[in-house]
Amino acid sequence: MTQGASKAPGIRQTMSDLHTWSGLLCGWLLYAMFLTGTVSYFKDEISQWMRPELQHRADRPDPAEVAQRIAGELGRVAAGSPQWSMRLPDERHATVSSFWRLPRGEGRGGRGFADATFDPVTGQKVAARETVGGEFFYRFHFQFHYMPVLWGRWLAGFCAMFMLVAIVSGVITHKKIFTDFFTFRWGKGQRSWLDAHNALSVFGLPFHLMITYTGLVTLMALYMPWGEQAAYKTPAQRQELTAELSAFIQPAKATGQAVPLAPIDAMVRQGQARWGQYNVGRVTITNPGDASARVSVTRGDAARASMSPQYLLFDGTSGELLQAKDSVGPAAETRGVMYALHLGRFGDLPMRWLYFIVSLAGTAMVGTGLVMWTVKRRQKLGDPARPHFGFRLVEKLNIASIAGLSVAMAGFLWGNRLLPLEMAGRTAWEVHVFFAFWALALLHALLRPARRAWVEQFWAAAALLALLPLASAFFTDRPLWRSLAEGDWVFAGFELMLWLLAGLHVWLAVRTSRHQPPRRKVSQAGARAALPAGVALAEERAR
Amino acid sequence: MSHFLTFMACLAAFSALALATGRQQDDLFGRPLAPRATWALRAAGWGALALALYLIVQAQGWGLGLVSYSGHTSLAAAVVFGALIVHGRVRARASARPKRSH
Repeated sequence: MTQGASKAPGIRQTMSDLHTWSGLLCGWLLYAMFLTGTVSYFKDEISQWMRPELQHRADRPDPAEVAQRIAGELGRVAAGSPQWSMRLPDERHATVSSFWRLPRGEGRGGRGFADATFDPVTGQKVAARETVGGEFFYRFHFQFHYMPVLWGRWLAGFCAMFMLVAIVSGVITHKKIFTDFFTFRWGKGQRSWLDAHNALSVFGLPFHLMITYTGLVTLMALYMPWGEQAAYKTPAQRQELTAELSAFIQPAKATGQAVPLAPIDAMVRQGQARWGQYNVGRVTITNPGDASARVSVTRGDAARASMSPQYLLFDGTSGELLQAKDSVGPAAETRGVMYALHLGRFGDLPMRWLYFIVSLAGTAMVGTGLVMWTVKRRQKLGDPARPHFGFRLVEKLNIASIAGLSVAMAGFLWGNRLLPLEMAGRTAWEVHVFFAFWALALLHALLRPARRAWVEQFWAAAALLALLPLASAFFTDRPLWRSLAEGDWVFAGFELMLWLLAGLHVWLAVRTSRHQPPRRKVSQAGARAALPAGVALAEERAR
Repeated sequence: MSHFLTFMACLAAFSALALATGRQQDDLFGRPLAPRATWALRAAGWGALALALYLIVQAQGWGLGLVSYSGHTSLAAAVVFGALIVHGRVRARASARPKRSH
């Protein structure tokens, strides 16, 4: 990577420096964004695991009947609300998640929402523990926490921009992208780290570029609102824009004339006829019970690599189809496709796993990059026993942000199982538990010698992960053996995956504790068999 | 099924491409292969990659197909890479048995 450019630095050297420093500056946040984003491909599964009270069900009720039933229930629970919205159950989500706008005067400035989860068969509210669910990782990965949402999103965008810079400069720096495509040199310190980093980056390169770029696109309207502001000036124009981007219809002014809602199931059936029986995503109803009622039935995400809205808009009193939105303009569609590519919600199960695995490789790419910064500089330290402040800082932050994040994420799941069920503000406390674990990891990293800190935190993460299925067995009525016996693959798969991840952390811990840091180039060469040092060096250079 | 076939095609492709690189030929055979054989391997590798693309696009269309394709190629390359590492380790351990520690 570093060529002996002694005179004016060449393009490769410049790019290498750019890569190193842009990577380091945002690396810690990027690592957290990558890892929490990676697990978010299984957001719904995480949420299910975190609500063990919601029983596994093998049957799938007809969405049209479910929509009708829940609309009836919302009429009781959310009477007077100008806007209801429900997500119909699908393969990964057995209940109906619903939210509604509170009537004017309730909530904060008329913008308050309430939500509830319903059983699709009985139509009753289901009682489950209060939990933030997988939503936390998902939100954290682009807006962080303990800071205003907008700041978080700007920070995430800033990091993503640096990521893009790091990818492009990394490709330019990588001299032999084809020749060294399959090269891995084992046990060669920095060289091995570089090979691993290269492999992780190059194999997933199309994916990493795509995910970074599309990640920026999802929030582009926030980062660069000026074009939109200049082009759409009146509220009516803005409403048109919203219709291109979202199927979430807004309530018009109510007439005050009471007219009962037309049957919802008939409207959902029209959606099913277009998109398939189980491919209706969301039903939104505005001004229910009023003459101005509207109902939108939205297409699900399955088998469609676009987030552009496709929906049917009905008159809520007559049930007449007013509009069938099947396509949007080319610019909006481009955005829709990129958004969908980033979220990967359209995929079937194999594709979801591919997203997860390659994304995990991306996480490892950032992680190896961070570690390499220290590996590369350790050899050049004047006195390896007493490194300078900057080196120590990076090393400690690496430990806390890489190994510590595993500890914190596992701790978060423990919080879900152990916090008292009737606790006030339980959802918020789950998140506090996550950050408490993370803070402890940082403290631990600061107090312990670097290598011990790595090893101990990997072991801690492994233990926390491995014992989680036991916590399920003790504190819920969904032990692993029951999930397996009932064929509940969400629960069983999740807990087996926890063991797999625990195994990964054990491996990392063992590898790290066995690792002998090569103190000096010469001593490393001298240790290698009986070869004269010069031969060994020449050989290494030739490789 | 189309996922499986695509993945196998990618796996074959990257195996061939790996065998077409000088370093792997040195490691696996102890000598470089004839230029003609190397060329054939390289052609077969790229051919199989094209085949994989064709298979998945046939099954899923361009939009989904390209996404799946980038996933399958990444995973297949990683599997070949891992196999080469394991192979190298096993052989190094076998040849180092008399004395050396690593």
